[in-house]
Amino acid sequence: MARTAGETKREKLHSYYDYSLLFLVLFLVCFGLVMIYSTSSYNGQRLHGDATYYLARQALLGGAGILIMLFVSKIDYRLYIKKLPIIKIRPIAILYFLCIVLQVVVIIFADEVKGAKRWIEIPGLTRFQPSELSKIAVILVAAYIVNLAPRKLDKIWGFLRVALFIAPLLGLVIAENFSTGLIIGLIFVAICFVASKKKAYFIISGIVMGALASLMIFFVDFRSDRIDAWINVETHEKGYQILQGLYAIASGGIFGKGLGESMQKLGFIPESHNDMIFSVICEELGLFGAVSLILLFILLIWRMFVIAINAPDLFGGLIATGVLVHIAAQVLINIAVVTSTIPPTGIPLPFISYGGSSLMVILFEMGIVLSVSNQIKAQK
Amino acid sequence: MAKSRTYNRKNILIIVIVIFLATLGLTGRLVYLIIFKSEDYAVRAKELHERERPIKAERGSIYDINGIEIATNKPVCTISVINSQIKESERVIKVLSDELGLSEESVRKRVEKNSSIERIKSNVNKEIADRIREYKLEGVMVDEDYKRHYPYDSLASKVIGFTGSDNQGVIGLEVKYENYLKGINGTILTLTTAYGVEIENAAEDRITPQPGNDLHLSLNVNIQKYAEQAAYNVMEAKSANNVKLIVMNPQDGRIYAMVNAPEFNLNDPYSLIDEIAQEYVGETISSEKLNELLNGMWRNACLSDTYEPGSAFKIVTATAAFEEHVVELDDRFFCPGYKRVEDRIIRCHKAGGHGSQNFVEGIKNSCNPVFMEIGARVGAKKTYEYYKKLGLFNRTGVDIPGEANSIMHNIDIIGAVELATMSFGQSFQITPLQLLTAGSAIVNGGTIVTPHFGVEIKTPDGRIVKTLEYKTKDNVISKETSEIMKQLLEAVVSDGTGRRAYLPGYRVGGKTATSEKLPRRTGKYISSFIGFAPANDPQVIALILIDEPVGIYYGGTIAAPVIAGLFDNILPYMGIEAKYTEEELEKYQVGTFVVPDFVGKTNKEMKDLLKIYEFGDVYSSGEGDIITEQFPPPGDSVNRKSGLVLHY
Repeated sequence: MARTAGETKREKLHSYYDYSLLFLVLFLVCFGLVMIYSTSSYNGQRLHGDATYYLARQALLGGAGILIMLFVSKIDYRLYIKKLPIIKIRPIAILYFLCIVLQVVVIIFADEVKGAKRWIEIPGLTRFQPSELSKIAVILVAAYIVNLAPRKLDKIWGFLRVALFIAPLLGLVIAENFSTGLIIGLIFVAICFVASKKKAYFIISGIVMGALASLMIFFVDFRSDRIDAWINVETHEKGYQILQGLYAIASGGIFGKGLGESMQKLGFIPESHNDMIFSVICEELGLFGAVSLILLFILLIWRMFVIAINAPDLFGGLIATGVLVHIAAQVLINIAVVTSTIPPTGIPLPFISYGGSSLMVILFEMGIVLSVSNQIKAQK
Repeated sequence: MAKSRTYNRKNILIIVIVIFLATLGLTGRLVYLIIFKSEDYAVRAKELHERERPIKAERGSIYDINGIEIATNKPVCTISVINSQIKESERVIKVLSDELGLSEESVRKRVEKNSSIERIKSNVNKEIADRIREYKLEGVMVDEDYKRHYPYDSLASKVIGFTGSDNQGVIGLEVKYENYLKGINGTILTLTTAYGVEIENAAEDRITPQPGNDLHLSLNVNIQKYAEQAAYNVMEAKSANNVKLIVMNPQDGRIYAMVNAPEFNLNDPYSLIDEIAQEYVGETISSEKLNELLNGMWRNACLSDTYEPGSAFKIVTATAAFEEHVVELDDRFFCPGYKRVEDRIIRCHKAGGHGSQNFVEGIKNSCNPVFMEIGARVGAKKTYEYYKKLGLFNRTGVDIPGEANSIMHNIDIIGAVELATMSFGQSFQITPLQLLTAGSAIVNGGTIVTPHFGVEIKTPDGRIVKTLEYKTKDNVISKETSEIMKQLLEAVVSDGTGRRAYLPGYRVGGKTATSEKLPRRTGKYISSFIGFAPANDPQVIALILIDEPVGIYYGGTIAAPVIAGLFDNILPYMGIEAKYTEEELEKYQVGTFVVPDFVGKTNKEMKDLLKIYEFGDVYSSGEGDIITEQFPPPGDSVNRKSGLVLHY
């Protein structure tokens, strides 16, 4: 089953590369930059005296991310689970332990931003959110372990065996950032779900997850505050940002006010280029623009779905599914938060929201998915 | 490496389907928000973004009878800074503190204050504001505004009044006609950011302000100036506390002038005038005290203060007596210098008494016993009826706020003594304007007029909005009595106590008064004179009150000449020509003649000629014997007794 580098090269002529997925990704990144410029120029001017302050940073990281994606897409994804020649360690093992170390570091050392420790400062460069990297790690590790013995997943013990491996990292992430932990949990469960033939225990584990989540929500202080803010979004002090987002969405109308014409971005929505960017998209581009964007995401998911089911092996399919679930979960949670459908939590909109590490990680993941697509034999 | 199986693919499909369903649900939620909640949220968002900024309406101007502006608006500017837009804060602080003459710290404090907008200074001169604008400093805002301006400073200050910081009338006509003058403020609906900064070119709606209407008065700037000059002169000459002078048309109540000397500067109404301030030199005045002093300074005493009218009130007593037919012009009276009323002896102002006299002589002498006698003949009840008819129980209705009413005895307690003192204007108080209104009715044929300033309200482009109308009440006394009174009062001036108001060429009527202020025997008097002209057809009536003159205090001596001087100035101005009688021409050497040609005459011939022509002083120059030049030149018409210059 193993292939050498030479074989890969020879087969290249026959291999498939999902250009429509690549195009969708590039389009979303560019659209994201346009919206970041629209939403951040006011704050950039106000706080940094430069309207393109945020745009320039995001464009730089986005460009780098695209290069990384293209590079990763050309690496056979199976390489990650092969032992490296000299040190005899699999790359995913390195990644996994690196993530655990980083998560520990972030909990101990990182500065507190808005009530939670999430960032590691890389001096002179940027801030880095290790939990983003952990997503990649969980996708690869979960897929790898499941891939080792997929039939075991038919029983709950098999699921728990995988969980045992994932638990340390997931625990660290949840301790530090509940919503990212939720997404990682979803990714992990989805990967297991795909591998299992019998699914009764998923209902049970779903209930357990739900109970755990409720415990987190109601017994950790600032999160139960968020529930209050969500229920009383119009009166609660902390519902301000969400309420302003709702104002933006509602004032967009069918076709929006036009690109750049948002009023709510002028300081009413704090940091409208971050998690709340979708509300400004609604205000400027209207229901039409918002639904178009949602359709683009659906198209993206569809492409990943196609890659996942056509993947040459289970591992590739699981990786693609993991990335698919990751992106879908972020899109859904972000839109649900912005529309006040669920209690507020800070999940960025993939490709669009301002944030370097998030964008880089997503582009890296897209690179992996493209690499999976690259291994599909065209003539199959 | 494990193979992908069909159930794996099915499972992925399940996940994707779940995702699509969730997406569908959220899209539904989005549609709900945008389509069905937009009414609610979008409207509230709009409210959040919109700021209503008022645009001040320009206040209407006030014009005198000849259309001269006496209250208008001057463009001024307000300088403010928007903290978030300032780029070079040091330069902004420097420029603003230099240009506005403010201390650097106070400017710095405001510039560095973290508020959305901070006012640095208002009422800044337009030239200074334009200069600041020239610097093109970012974050510095110059807003134009209007400030009330009074071109004549103190002219008729207590009549016109002034406006406060919000451009609203504080006293005087500015208050009375507030609703006409103020106009309707406009608004501009702008969009602002969350920090309250207006977004340029985003004005959504604008309601244009409607400027206030103009007020046209009966006040005549020239007459007011004459009157103020005359009042100030006598106030200074007699070291009086204050002088009040009202000039009115007795036929319709239009007030031409109302002086309350000392006046104050309308452009600086919150500074005490020197006359008041000098009493407090070296003292620190508390804010309450200052308030009290300012209120006193602003008070229009002509209509807000009452006084005992004294002898001038005898015209009312006489009018009542003639109306009741209880006295005839040739009725004889005897004045021993006092009159005994019940157990009291009430003195006449002339110690020895006026002796035997008829009524005409009695009024000319202003003899108290005569009026006590006729007052008694009319009786208290009838007296009050005439007071009422002459408007002495009511405010005159003048269009200035703060008018006082008279203070009268209750009719039930009026005994003979009260009636006697009332008949020569003591033991009750009225406002000067009430006396003037009653006097007008007596000389205009019996019509009570409403004294007033406001004549017309016009739009800024001159269209009449409203012609102001005032109540009049005809025939409160008979025409016959009015005729008799005019003759009697003319006699008072031509040959009585008011003779110093005599004005050659004019028929002036009037009555003097010297009221002793309460408490009595403190040597404080109000000298007054009420006069009108021409006596046969009164076109102008004037009342002067000199408060606490030092030295001679007789109204006939010090107040009457002021009115004569005033009439001398304003009657020709009002188009009332002097008509000299033969007797006056002789006595006052008035009249004109044509200057003959003296050139070529010898010195000796000239001496004879000068006996014929009535020149005043003759000045000669030159060495010769024959006149070579003369001034005025031949053919000129000159007044009698004017000078002549001859060059030999």
